[in-house]
Amino acid sequence: MDYVFDNERPIYVQLVEKLRIQIVSGKLKQAQRLPSVRELALTARVNPNTMQKALAELEMQGLIYTERTNGKYVTQDTKLIEKVKKELAKEKVKNYLNDMDSIGISYEDAILYLQELGGKGKWN
Amino acid sequence: MLRKLLKYDLKWIYKELIVFYLLALTFSAIGRSLGLIQNSIVFSIASGVTIGIAVGMLLGSLVNCMLRLWSRFLKSLYKDEAYLTHTLPVEKKTVYTSKVITAIITLFTTVIVILACLAICFYSQANMQMLKESLEIVETTYNIDMIAVLFLMAIIILTELVFIVLLGYVGIIIGHRANKHKILYSVITGYVGYMITQIASLLVVFLFGILNPQVMNLISTTQMLDVDIIKYMLLGATGLYIVYNIIFYIIGKKQLEKGVNVE
Amino acid sequence: MELVECRNLCKNFENNQILKNINLTIPRGKIIGLLGKNGTGKTTLIKLINDLLTPTSGEVLINGKKPGIVSKKVIAYLPERTYLDKNMTVKQAINYFEEFYDNFDKQKAIELLKDLNLETDKKIAKMSKGMQEKLQLILVMSRQAQLYILDEPLGGVDPATRDYILDTILSNFSEGASVMISTHLIADIERILDEVIFIDQGEIVLTSSADELRNKEKASIDEIFRRNFKC
Repeated sequence: MDYVFDNERPIYVQLVEKLRIQIVSGKLKQAQRLPSVRELALTARVNPNTMQKALAELEMQGLIYTERTNGKYVTQDTKLIEKVKKELAKEKVKNYLNDMDSIGISYEDAILYLQELGGKGKWN
Repeated sequence: MLRKLLKYDLKWIYKELIVFYLLALTFSAIGRSLGLIQNSIVFSIASGVTIGIAVGMLLGSLVNCMLRLWSRFLKSLYKDEAYLTHTLPVEKKTVYTSKVITAIITLFTTVIVILACLAICFYSQANMQMLKESLEIVETTYNIDMIAVLFLMAIIILTELVFIVLLGYVGIIIGHRANKHKILYSVITGYVGYMITQIASLLVVFLFGILNPQVMNLISTTQMLDVDIIKYMLLGATGLYIVYNIIFYIIGKKQLEKGVNVE
Repeated sequence: MELVECRNLCKNFENNQILKNINLTIPRGKIIGLLGKNGTGKTTLIKLINDLLTPTSGEVLINGKKPGIVSKKVIAYLPERTYLDKNMTVKQAINYFEEFYDNFDKQKAIELLKDLNLETDKKIAKMSKGMQEKLQLILVMSRQAQLYILDEPLGGVDPATRDYILDTILSNFSEGASVMISTHLIADIERILDEVIFIDQGEIVLTSSADELRNKEKASIDEIFRRNFKC
């Protein structure tokens, strides 16, 4: 994943978002063991404290869990992952519709656009 | 830690000094060898020239030694390298002591090399005989062991050289208290220190003179000196310079321990 | 006990007050940005912590003690200038560090130097300025210290070098240690900072957690800094 950050928002929040996407997309597999905080921080080029904070947040959301001595793992709770995925999808759709609305395209037309462009499989 | 600092300080000074030593010794040897070739004006002139160069190298090694000692002191305590020196886990006084011991050792070897070169250049049975005879005259008239006197004089020269270097160290430390013209203040401080000790020496002789009228005669008349007085004066001078060295060592240490301001 | 504490710290040069009554604590386990324009007292503060300057008044305490042998053992300091004897080779410089610092990890330094393809027999004087800076960074980061103080580590470097420097810092500082980075190039480093200290005209004008500040002002640290200290 790309680790470009927006300096205007807390870095840990952005890390949570990026990691969440990795989990729901399956890039980080269920029950997969995560690298150490330091390693993760290094690949993301962030402060280990920030990564720690992000992981704590993900843990609170239940997306990862800690096994006392072995480190952190991605959750095996498929339902939860699906739920989060749905939330993210909703958010993206909402953003899409809002963006279309801002350039004066109605809901119905927006759907048409989607069908038309999406039908080709890839944007071009 | 002192041992480690010393190792690096000595290495730094000797790296160049050793070249002067080798050159001086080589020119001495060449000069002497050329001089051994009999009945040739060309060779004896060449010998004289080479020995002249050797003597120049000897002076050079002494000057180089002292300048390098000061330069090293200035660099490692107040220039860029000071950023490392002062952040090593070593006390400032240990850094200072290492510099002082380095001065003593390098000046000592320089004096030894000078003596060795002079011996190479001028040693001969005839010269030794002459020296011995002239020493014997002095020895019998004064009833004094000349070897001991020469030895004492060598020590005085060494302590005086060490003292001059120490004056420079203390001058640099105090001069770098100033906010600007640091080098100028360093030189002035060193010079003032020198003046003070010279005046102090005169005072000591004067005080000694009050106790011993013969010493006063030295100042007021041209009368020949008693042998015992010469001995005492030599010993006194040695003692005095050792005391000065100790005093200036302590002054430098105390001043440095107050902290530094590295630019 | 605080890692570093400055109490009423003042430093004057002649009649200029370079630092005015600084009261500051540096916490453990954080990456701290000491942010300020050039000539506002950043380096002076750093030099006071490192015993390179003597306070005019007030004091600096490291683990509760004035700067000395004990503090120098736990602080790894990277100044702006080259402080190595340039006649040394890389190998000699490594040995020098190993001899004087108990917590110097020679193996780590050698590994890091390998990545740079640096010949260890090369004299420091013959290396480029950039290489000298990297060598110094490696020597400093190979120490297992409690506090790393890096003075303007990104000054005048290209983006690739900047990434190298930040990576080297992030991947090598000891666990639980703090890192204090002074800089005026805030945008380049703000994402790795836990805490920020703004310094201006010899005074600490703000200390805050980086994220709290971003949340409060809804802007990047760089932006906030520019707003506050217009030239």
